[in-house]
Amino acid sequence: MILLDSVTKTYPGDHKPALDSVSLHIEPNEFVFLVGKSGAGKSTLMKMITKEETPDSGKIIIGGIDLDYVKKRHIPGYRRRLGVVFQDFKLLPRRTVYENVAFALEIAGMSGKEIRKTVPKVLELVDLTDQSKKFPAQLSGGQRQRVGIARSVARQPKILIADEPTANLDKLTTEEIIQLLKKINDFGTTILVTTHNENIVNTLQKRVVTMKDGRIVADQKNGGIYKLDETPRPKLTRNMMQAPGHALKQRPRRVIQ
Amino acid sequence: MVGNKEKKIKEPKVKDEIKEPKNLKKAAKNGLKVMRKTRRRHPLREEGRIIKYGTKGFARNFWLSSAATVVMSITLIILFVTVVASVILTNTADMMRDKIDITIYFKPETTREDLDTLTETISADSNTKSVVTADSKEEYEKFVAENAGSEEIINVLDDEMKALMISKMQATMRIKVYNVDNLDSIKYIVENDELFVKLVDEEKQPTYDVNQVEIATITSWARIARTGGIILAAVFLVISILIIFSTIRMAIFSRREEIYMMKLVGADKRFIRGPFLVEAEICGVLAGLIAASASYFGFMWLAPKLAGYGINVDEILGILQSSKLVLMFLIFVGLGIIIGRISSRLAVSKYLHKA
Ligand SMILES: Nc1ncnc2c1ncn2[C@@H]1O[C@H](COP(=O)(O)OP(=O)(O)OP(=O)(O)O)[C@@H](O)[C@H]1O
Ligand SMILES: [Mg+2]
Repeated sequence: MILLDSVTKTYPGDHKPALDSVSLHIEPNEFVFLVGKSGAGKSTLMKMITKEETPDSGKIIIGGIDLDYVKKRHIPGYRRRLGVVFQDFKLLPRRTVYENVAFALEIAGMSGKEIRKTVPKVLELVDLTDQSKKFPAQLSGGQRQRVGIARSVARQPKILIADEPTANLDKLTTEEIIQLLKKINDFGTTILVTTHNENIVNTLQKRVVTMKDGRIVADQKNGGIYKLDETPRPKLTRNMMQAPGHALKQRPRRVIQ
Repeated sequence: MVGNKEKKIKEPKVKDEIKEPKNLKKAAKNGLKVMRKTRRRHPLREEGRIIKYGTKGFARNFWLSSAATVVMSITLIILFVTVVASVILTNTADMMRDKIDITIYFKPETTREDLDTLTETISADSNTKSVVTADSKEEYEKFVAENAGSEEIINVLDDEMKALMISKMQATMRIKVYNVDNLDSIKYIVENDELFVKLVDEEKQPTYDVNQVEIATITSWARIARTGGIILAAVFLVISILIIFSTIRMAIFSRREEIYMMKLVGADKRFIRGPFLVEAEICGVLAGLIAASASYFGFMWLAPKLAGYGINVDEILGILQSSKLVLMFLIFVGLGIIIGRISSRLAVSKYLHKA
C-alpha cells in the first residue's frame, strides 16, 4: 500500500541527507507508527508520500500509483486519494466544521446530495455532530483535530497519514485521537502516524518503524519502544516506559541492519 | 525488512480499487492511468461551488470588498470622464470650425453673374467646402428679413431709401472650408484671380485669421484630450489594477495559509482560485453599475451647464438618451469584471504556485 524503495533526499543547502536510502513497505490495513527523534527525517518521509517534496532518487509507490508519474498537474488529484492529518490541523478558518468536512468532498466533485448525506455520518464518527455549525476558532484542540480527521476520512481514502497529529494536544485528548485513528484503521484504512509520544506507541501495540539520521533503524511488528538513541532520556519518559505491561518487558526489540 | 524488499513488491494480494502493482513497471502504468482518470470531473458542479464560495467570501469580507468596489468605481468614472472629455472637446472644436467662414465683401455693383463665376473659381479649390453668395439686392432683403420685427427701421425705408441702400450694400461671399488651419490657397485665389481683384471691396479686405486663436486653442485641447485621454485612461487603468491588486493581495495575504491548506488537501488550482476571482468579479459588477449610474446622472446634470458655455455635448447626450445607454452599462460592467479578474488573478497566483 505504501512502498518506498531506496528513497534518498537531501534538501538543497544541506550536506547530510534527510532521507538516506529509506526502504519501507506497509501492507493494506496496517497501522504503523513512525518514530524517531527530532530531525530524524519523519516529516520528510511524510512529505514524500504527500508529494510536497520529491526524492532525489528511489521509488515511491502509494496505493498502486508510482509517484514518478504524478506530474505537477496531477498532484491535486493524487492528494485527494490520500487522507492527510496535520499537527496544526490546517482547518479553513472561515468555514464551519460542516463546511470544512464538506470541502474535502466538494473538491472531489461529489454531488451536493451525496455530500449532505456523507458529512453528518463522518461528523458522527468523530463525535462532532453538535459542533457542526461552529468555526474552528470556537473549538478545543482535540475537537479541531477531530474535524481534521473527519475531513481526511470523508472521502474514505485507503491510506491515511498523520504527521504528529497529537503534538499540540494534551494527554487525554491524545488518547482520544489515537483511539479514533484506531477505529478508522479497524474500518480498513491503512494508517501511518508519526509521533513523539511513547505512551501511545507503547499502549497501542502496533507496528513501529524507527528512524534515525534519515535511516530506518528499527521495525517492530507489534512494537512498543523506540528508544534507540543513546542520549539520556528525561526522567518522566523513563518512568512512563516502566509502566506496567510495557512492551519493553514483553519482547525484545528487533533491530534491522 | 530491507532484505525482504524485492519479495514484498511481488506479493500483493490486495483488494483495492487500484490494484497493488505486480512490479514497478506495472505500477508506473497504473499510476498514469489513474492520474488520467482523475483529471476533469464535474466542471458545472465545480463552477456552482466556486460561485457559491465567491459570493460567501464577498459577504464575509464585506469591508475589503467594498473598498475594492469603490476603487474600481472611481477608476471607471475616471475612464468615462476622459473618454467623454475627449469626445466633447473634439466635437466642440469641429462645431467651431464649422461656424467659421471667410467672408469676402465685393463692390455693390457686383452682379449675380459675377458672383456665380467667382463661386466657380473658388469652388475649384480643394479646401472649399461650400460657398454662399449674395448680391446687393439679396443682402438688402436679408437685412430687411433680419429686422422684420423692428418697426422703426422698416418704416423709415421708403423706395428712395431702399434704392440707396441697395446701391451701397456690398455683395458678399461666405466660404466654408475643410481645413481652417490652411487658408493659403484660398487667399492666393482671392488675391490673384482677375475677377476677384477687380471686384473685391478695397475698403474691406478679407481677413484670414478670424477667430484663429480660439480655434487653435480648442483644436489643441481636443488633440490633447484625444491622445492624452487614451494615455490617461491607460494609466488610470493600470493604477487601478495595481490598487485593486494590492487590496486583493492584502486580503489574500491573510489567507495564504488557507490557500496552502487547500492545496495540501488536494484542491485543484481552479477550485482554489475560483472563489477569489468570483469575489473580485462581484466587486467589478457592482463597481460597473455604480460607476455607470454615477456617470449617467452626473453627465445629465452637467450637460446643460456645459452647453451653456458653448460646449458641444450633443453626441454623448444622444448616446445617453438612446438605447445605447444599455450598451454603456454593459461596457462598464464588463470593464469592472475584467479589472477584477486580472487583478485578483495576479494577486492569487503568487501563493497558488508556491508549494
Ligand atoms: N525545508 C527544508 N529545507 C532544508 N532542510 C530541511 C527542510 N525540512 C527538513 N529539513 C532537514 O531535514 C532533516 C529532517 O527533518 P524532518 O523535518 O524530516 O525531521 P522530523 O523527524 O520530522 O523532526 P521532528 O520530529 O522535529 O518533526 C533535518 O535535518 C532538517 O533540518
Ligand atoms: Mg516533523
